[in-house]
Amino acid sequence: MANVKFDNITVSYGNHTVLKNFSLEVESGRIVCLVGPSGCGKTTLVRALLGLNKPETGVITVGDRCLFDAKKRVNVPAEKRNIGIVFQDYAVWPHMTVLENVCYPLKKQRRPKDEIQKRAMHALEQVHMTEYAKHLPNQLSGGQQQRVAIARALVVDSDVLVMDEPITNLDAKLREEMLLEIRMIQKRLNATILYITHDQQSALQLCDKMAIMQQDGTLCQYGTDEEIILHPANRFTFEFIGVSNFIPIEKGPAGAVLKCGGASPIPYDGEVPQEALGGGYELGVRPNDIVFDPSSPIQAHVTSRVFLGSEYNYFLNIGEKQVRVQQSMLDARTRGVAKEGETVGIRFLNTRFYPAKKGEQTV
Amino acid sequence: MKRYDGASAELAAVDGRKRLNMDKVMTAVCFVLLLIIVVIPIVMIIYNAFFNEGRLELGTFVDQIKEEKNLSAMWNTLKIAIGATILGTIMGVFYAWLLGRSDIPAKGLMRALFNIPYMFPPFLGAMAWDMMFNGRSGYINKFLRTLFGLKTMPININSVWGIIFVEVSYYFPFVFMQVVSALERMDPTLEESARIAGAKQRQVIWKITLPLVKPAISAGALLILTTSLAHFGVPAILGYARGIYTLPTRIYAVIYNSGGSFDGIRQGAALSVMLVVVVSLALILQNRILSAGSYDIIKGKSMRPTLIKLRGAKVPLLILAILTLVLIVIVPLVMIVLISFLKAYGLPLSFENFTLDQYRTVFASNGTIDSIKNSLFASITAGVVCMFLGTLVAYVVQKIRPKGKGALEVISMLPYAIPGTVLSIGVILAWSGRIFGINLYNTIWIILVAYLARYLSFSMKTSSAALLQVHSSLEEAARVCGASHTESLADITLPLIRPAMVSGFFLIFLPAMREVTTSILLYGPYTRTLGVQIYSLRDAGMIPQAAALATVAIGIIIVLNTIVTKLTKDRKGV
Amino acid sequence: MADQIILRHVTKKFTTKTLGDIVAVDDFNLNVHEGECFSFLGPSGCGKSTTLRMIAGFEDLTEGEIELCGRLVSSSKKNLYVPPEERGLGMVFQAFAVWPHMNVFENVAFPLRIQKVNKVDINRRVAEALHHTSLTGLENTFPSDLSGGQQQRIALARAIVTNPKVMLLDEPLSNLDPKLRETMRFEIKALQRKFNFTIIFVTHDQSEAMAISDRMMVCDMGRIMQIDTPENLYNKPCNRFVHNFLGESTFINVEIRDGKAYPKGHPEQALDLPVPPDAAREMVVATRPNEIALKGPDGTGFTTHIEKRIFLTDRTEYLVSVGNQLLKVQTPHRVAFSEGEACSVHFVEPMWYPADDEQAEKERHRRQLV
Repeated sequence: MANVKFDNITVSYGNHTVLKNFSLEVESGRIVCLVGPSGCGKTTLVRALLGLNKPETGVITVGDRCLFDAKKRVNVPAEKRNIGIVFQDYAVWPHMTVLENVCYPLKKQRRPKDEIQKRAMHALEQVHMTEYAKHLPNQLSGGQQQRVAIARALVVDSDVLVMDEPITNLDAKLREEMLLEIRMIQKRLNATILYITHDQQSALQLCDKMAIMQQDGTLCQYGTDEEIILHPANRFTFEFIGVSNFIPIEKGPAGAVLKCGGASPIPYDGEVPQEALGGGYELGVRPNDIVFDPSSPIQAHVTSRVFLGSEYNYFLNIGEKQVRVQQSMLDARTRGVAKEGETVGIRFLNTRFYPAKKGEQTV
Repeated sequence: MKRYDGASAELAAVDGRKRLNMDKVMTAVCFVLLLIIVVIPIVMIIYNAFFNEGRLELGTFVDQIKEEKNLSAMWNTLKIAIGATILGTIMGVFYAWLLGRSDIPAKGLMRALFNIPYMFPPFLGAMAWDMMFNGRSGYINKFLRTLFGLKTMPININSVWGIIFVEVSYYFPFVFMQVVSALERMDPTLEESARIAGAKQRQVIWKITLPLVKPAISAGALLILTTSLAHFGVPAILGYARGIYTLPTRIYAVIYNSGGSFDGIRQGAALSVMLVVVVSLALILQNRILSAGSYDIIKGKSMRPTLIKLRGAKVPLLILAILTLVLIVIVPLVMIVLISFLKAYGLPLSFENFTLDQYRTVFASNGTIDSIKNSLFASITAGVVCMFLGTLVAYVVQKIRPKGKGALEVISMLPYAIPGTVLSIGVILAWSGRIFGINLYNTIWIILVAYLARYLSFSMKTSSAALLQVHSSLEEAARVCGASHTESLADITLPLIRPAMVSGFFLIFLPAMREVTTSILLYGPYTRTLGVQIYSLRDAGMIPQAAALATVAIGIIIVLNTIVTKLTKDRKGV
Repeated sequence: MADQIILRHVTKKFTTKTLGDIVAVDDFNLNVHEGECFSFLGPSGCGKSTTLRMIAGFEDLTEGEIELCGRLVSSSKKNLYVPPEERGLGMVFQAFAVWPHMNVFENVAFPLRIQKVNKVDINRRVAEALHHTSLTGLENTFPSDLSGGQQQRIALARAIVTNPKVMLLDEPLSNLDPKLRETMRFEIKALQRKFNFTIIFVTHDQSEAMAISDRMMVCDMGRIMQIDTPENLYNKPCNRFVHNFLGESTFINVEIRDGKAYPKGHPEQALDLPVPPDAAREMVVATRPNEIALKGPDGTGFTTHIEKRIFLTDRTEYLVSVGNQLLKVQTPHRVAFSEGEACSVHFVEPMWYPADDEQAEKERHRRQLV
């Protein structure tokens, strides 16, 4: 297994530039998730890695091997790149048995027959599918087909394994199982996996590191899940990886004030960095970082409360601004719940300050 | 899955010149072949109907239109086609509903049985009915006349209504099969929600079920209509001798009577244009009445549909269904077999008149053996060639998507709407030395060329549908696994559509084995097909011998069908 | 509040070719009050859909009877079955079941046309129904041009246009994406407030059921387990299955000695909990991972250490060792411990179940596999 390096990649279709000067390095033996909204160019990047499209600029290297270099006119064809791929729809060939599917890449390498057999069975063992070797794909469940696709990608000792949203077609329960399975296989083989998804939830559950891509095809943050959740680099990351509330903030006569429409600005007594008071900034806070506190100057009106089992979900109005609050059961049991129609004091924890998006500044 | 759109174009760009050339060659081959096989014959008909030796000459055409016989033939064609379509559709929908939605017993068996009339060659059915209810000599007619002491024959099958009846018997499965599968795939909650909305069972059928399967009904009805308009066999056997003509039989008569002269062929071409106009009008009309939409009625969790309890009507309806089957399948079959054992036609059907002589004659006659050989040769060759050519066209249209793919699609589907008789005339005009200097007339090759033109769309359709199912990621996965483009085609794409190719072959082979419509105009002294041979034997008055050959033909069809069913069942994958 | 839907001893048996007789619904007794939102909740095959179909009139009863709005509609004894169209119900299906051959207006107008309502009234009532489902302006659109959420709104509009007293919702949100699901849930509640109908809501999703219902029934394998309000069900589940089904659960097996609960196989330290007087020798303590407080080792609670820390999107999960068992605890990110760190565990009113419940749980799994 080897590391993967994208350097200064640009890909465009006609006049539309999907990726511009994109660089990223994936360390060997890690699961890295490439996360971003659909259309951000993550699939294009992967297709460039696989050799299924051709970037205009840049260099792609896997280990010490250069697969693509626009300047040196290097472009290794798809079939010689030695990269394993698990497609979104698995792309398991329905006319071949499980074993035949897994043997195919080895056959294309013209390996001796007994070696093919041995390695294919070994690959099936790794994904616990040996007993299904003689089955046809249509006799398998979605999860099992995925395992076959993984075995097929593993069998040739690929340098890198690419997975393109392989679990989006599965139901929630199976999805969870498959993520665990991928994780376990990765641990066992110490494989380098590049996992593509638009679903930040599964990315967080799975990966060592996450690369978050923005709509315009640029990389906005690369780091461990914890780094990204606790220290989002910008507003896009903060919004993308969870539910968020935003309230415009500015400098008032005596410290910071929140602008929530309605009559007068509400004084805010929390810590605010200097630059956020220059106007055009918003306070960002997660629903579960808002707690009830009667002593707080911020008073909110409870418009709805829904019991969801593990938490209470509130919609509160601060002035005319609606915010969402999640109260955990522990908190509900120890501090009590707020009722619909009540006015409560609230306090924001773990606040962040970002420039407002254009067009949203005036609420 | 939108992301993969244009994936092949991307691949093409990556592969550079090599792949582009291969694609270009395939595209060019398609265009050239379709031009030769389909476009030229059609152009030739139109040209010859209106031009003579390079000059515009509408005389022939106008003469043909004015001719009263032709006008009445056109009228008959329309009457028969519309009658058969309406009655066949009603019958098909009724039995489809009965088997798909009611609690009638033995559904599986009944469904299989209701597909039999589809395999049965209609012109053999017509022969059988003619034997029973011929207005002059039908066996059952004679029996009934003596039984009731009547002066005239009670039933005359040699009439427009007789023709409609026989066509309905063998064409209603077109509608039946489409509708029954649509009903099976339909989400039952669509009907249940109508019940909840307050509709009674009867209202649900009229307002929800039938409108929802309308596209299926419409598709089936269209098939009946076009098939009937172009059909030669049944009106030829039941109407020809009585002066009841349809356009296809008129075209045959004109050419036959002129002894194959160019003038006769030109007249035929003019009549062909009339027939094409009629077909087009019918298609437009049908489109107006039953505008086909494609609804997405297959959704949700599969749940067994609530079957409608027939209660008291169950037994009578079951008997009705069985009687229908007996009447349209068993009775004609028995009649043909009985007659085939008869020493001479007209003798009473009693044991002392039975003999095996007819079979001996049939198998001793060179003409008969030749006809079986000819049919086998032309059908198998047409099946194989169409299978590959149709797949090639389908691949070009679906995966390469060149400029002009729309034209390619239209051209290859064109013969589907053009009657076989018309196509035959075009083939005669194109291949009797007039344009290429190649004269295939009176050889088996001209029949083959006509089959190719006529059946290409069948295999193109099935291969197209199969190729659509082959997601481009399957090919890409092979590329990533180390296969070159050609290898991925050979290892993945072709094997995946092989079942469709094979079924495309049989879709062509089986009808080609039993057809008369096309070959009746193209056969030469040594190139009779099985259908033509049966028709000629009967025409020459050797009815028991024709019946013997018909029995043999039916035997061959049954055997082949069984083989096909076995083969398609065992196929693995997809 | 009057009882609007009453089920008495309702039982349904199916005969299948492979498995023989199956009791899909076993002796269901329940009353649904007028204006209530009542959920049937359970895993697939628990009998909830069959029960709904019996109420709708699509299935006969093997035993028992059903009363709707004071009228006997199904009775096995009297062999009385009022057909679905005469029960005066509204119903929305999982797969929407909007008629693709009719435009939005015709779909919604259909029930009124069947009732032969005059044209002026049809136009008025359909417009009103479309207004309440935010479909105004889409009258002439065909369902195939609309999104899943809009199609489900058509189904809702069609169901409310006849102003039914009872609305049956058969997993109406399962085909929608999570965000839309929440919006539609609010819309259904708003419609109920407006039109004041009784809802029976079938679902396998517990948080959805809890969010929408006034009361709910949890069933499993054809039997009713518990009927109560969402809060009571969540906080006081009657058995281990209900506890586990209604949300994330974590269990500790304990042995009771001298009125104290010791983690099984760990006699050194007792849990800091009052033991219920009727406790057997072996019990299971059940609670929710996010209802356990995790604090520094201050001598209170149960003192132990963090075995494993798992970082999740909106919370941190800790596996805390309790003897040789692991307890799952979830806290907001702001409560931060590292692996191996000492801590104390504080339970808040956990539930106690007899230990043989575990046996029953295993049996359940076994039967499900058969």
